[in-house]
Amino acid sequence: MKFRRSASGLGEWLQSRTGFRGARHALLDEQLPPGTGWFFTLGSVLLALLGVQLLTGAFLTLYYAPTPDHAYDSIRFIVSTAPGRIVHGLHHYGSSFIVVAIVLHMLRVVAFGSYKPPREATWLSGLALFGLVLAFSLTGYLLPWDQRAYWATVVTINVAKLTPLAGELAAGVLRGGDSIGALTLTRWYAVHVIFLPALLILLVVLHVVLMRRHGISGPVRSRPGPMTPFYPWQAARDTAVVAVVLATMAAFAWNGAPPLEGRADPTDATYVPRPEWYFLGLFQLLKYFPGKWEVVGGMVVPGLAAAFLILLPWLDRGPERNPRKRPAVLLAVAIGMAGVVTLTTLGWRDSPRNREATAWTLREIGGRTLVQQTGCARCHSEEGLADSLEALTSSRGTEWLAGHVADPEMIAPGLREPPARRDEREVAAIVAYVHRLARQPYPAIPRETEVAGAIFARFCVGCHTIDADGGKDGPDLSAIGSKRDQDTLRRIITHPTSVNPDAEMPAFGKRLTPAELDAISRYLAARR
Amino acid sequence: MDRRRALALFVNTTVAFIGSALSAVLGAFALGPSRAWQSARWVRAGALTDLTPNVPVPRVLVISRQDGWYRERARETVFLVWDGDKSIHALSATCTHLGCQVRWDTDTTNFRCPCHGGVFDAQGHVVSGPPPRPLDRIEARLDPSGADVLVRL
Ligand code: HEM
Ligand code: FES
Repeated sequence: MKFRRSASGLGEWLQSRTGFRGARHALLDEQLPPGTGWFFTLGSVLLALLGVQLLTGAFLTLYYAPTPDHAYDSIRFIVSTAPGRIVHGLHHYGSSFIVVAIVLHMLRVVAFGSYKPPREATWLSGLALFGLVLAFSLTGYLLPWDQRAYWATVVTINVAKLTPLAGELAAGVLRGGDSIGALTLTRWYAVHVIFLPALLILLVVLHVVLMRRHGISGPVRSRPGPMTPFYPWQAARDTAVVAVVLATMAAFAWNGAPPLEGRADPTDATYVPRPEWYFLGLFQLLKYFPGKWEVVGGMVVPGLAAAFLILLPWLDRGPERNPRKRPAVLLAVAIGMAGVVTLTTLGWRDSPRNREATAWTLREIGGRTLVQQTGCARCHSEEGLADSLEALTSSRGTEWLAGHVADPEMIAPGLREPPARRDEREVAAIVAYVHRLARQPYPAIPRETEVAGAIFARFCVGCHTIDADGGKDGPDLSAIGSKRDQDTLRRIITHPTSVNPDAEMPAFGKRLTPAELDAISRYLAARR
Repeated sequence: MDRRRALALFVNTTVAFIGSALSAVLGAFALGPSRAWQSARWVRAGALTDLTPNVPVPRVLVISRQDGWYRERARETVFLVWDGDKSIHALSATCTHLGCQVRWDTDTTNFRCPCHGGVFDAQGHVVSGPPPRPLDRIEARLDPSGADVLVRL
């Protein structure tokens, strides 16, 4: 009792000094029309998601370094601890959740005709927010500075070049310099963490103020009954949906974002760019307009869609809000959405799974066996002269690593006995292994596959491909087991002409031990 | 409890729960990168044949240290002191007064600091001047073959 009285005393004191009850009243006691229901929770979901996004983003800047030399390593450092993995994961999946939520919110507004007078300005401020969200994701995508980031940005900037009259100017502004590099990165970073958030906060406040000014539109046909305050009635619905959405997002984020790809390598012309999934539709659209028509896919179609949305409150003017009585608008939006979904699905199917994807390639697996045979662990161990390979926290380029593997003494002098020399192929496999290890922990892989991997990486990979990694002179062996049994495979490897007199493949009977011949033929026979 | 209060309770507890979960993750993230610094390791500082018994020999070592995501290459001067037999130790060349680099003076067989005249003996103990404590000792040992000197930095 006494506590109660002193608590209310404190309340009175605070009220007299700050007037907080007025703010509380203004924020929470908004009167909502009867029948305002679950469909109207999406705006609060967006507010919650944006809040999480702003917070996780702000905390990520504690460790992120926006330079080409360090961006990649700083992200790897961030995800090297559990809290970092979760924060990074939340920020990563948050962008997708926001895009889904914002599209659903817009569809709700369209279906309910909520953009009609007097709410045109609310609608326009919402569209501006939609544009901001896309700009956030575009600029954020570059920041990890991995292959995926770099090459998606190359495409973005090429699309910007399609701007009529000012193409080069637009591309130059986006790049900051002559090519995508340090200046691009700092520029996109600044936009992503300073300019866009400032604009976003302004626009969200404007949007919510406008929404409150006109009151919520409520159900399509107004119902009889008294108005109810937002808190706790609608607030409970909002909270329930927000909790489910955030819990789902936390489940995604628990294991972190998908692993980084290799560090950005502008010289790797074989990389196939792949944008964030919600840009796949646009990306696909570009493919249908090659050459000089590109501007149609890159500018005209998206421009028309934007113009349609901006003009919508004036195209659909009457006071009627019931969607059943506005078939033209609903049909136009349905066709638009069908187009977006179709293009996105096609884009999804069309973009090749990058070799990077997630499974370790046989070459990388073989690299591990070679590392063990080479004796890298003499220095790279907990107690050794250098960090263990699993714990290496800075990444090196291919050239440096290849040099170091071929001759560790040269780059890290002071070793007493240099490890075994490795030939070019073996070096390539070791480099592939170390690069992959830097992004993804080594999975449990059967010993037999590791042995086969080492053989494949040393002798076969120059001519044969498995799982999209390898040479093209010989046939792809990814599913060779469905054509040949183990015995035949073993004979082919030992002495190719014994099976096919015209075979051009060299014989490996003398270069591989019988055990190795068994291992590689058994592995290949099992590939179906 | 009426419906209104039950809903208010639900909203308040859920919001408080979300808020604390988020604060916990962000707090842990901000406070503790567990591998920010890497521990000291043994570095080769030179061959035993380069040393003279009881004469401190300076060695400039380039050590790379992991500082979060940054690999720093730091230069560090250490003096190796060998007793002519199995025992070896190393002293940091950084003066314990204000951090200038001391030099070995062969005439007086003392370390002398150029900044404010601090003097240390061959063991690193203060002989005179402002330094408050002896030169820092650095762990040192011979490698198993006995040919190389390793120091822990
Ligand atoms: C960052 C993104 C956004 C946030 C945080 C946000 C937030 C909100 C909130 C809290 C409401 C209250 C009612 C409800 O939840 O349905 C609302 C209403 C509204 N929003 Fe948004 N919104 C966003 C984006 C958009 C977009 C992209 C559009 C459309 C282009 C839009 C158009 C509207 C309109 C017209 C209303 C008034 C609806 C009515 O009175 O029934 N908003 N918004
Ligand atoms: S710094 Fe050496 S005596 Fe002052």
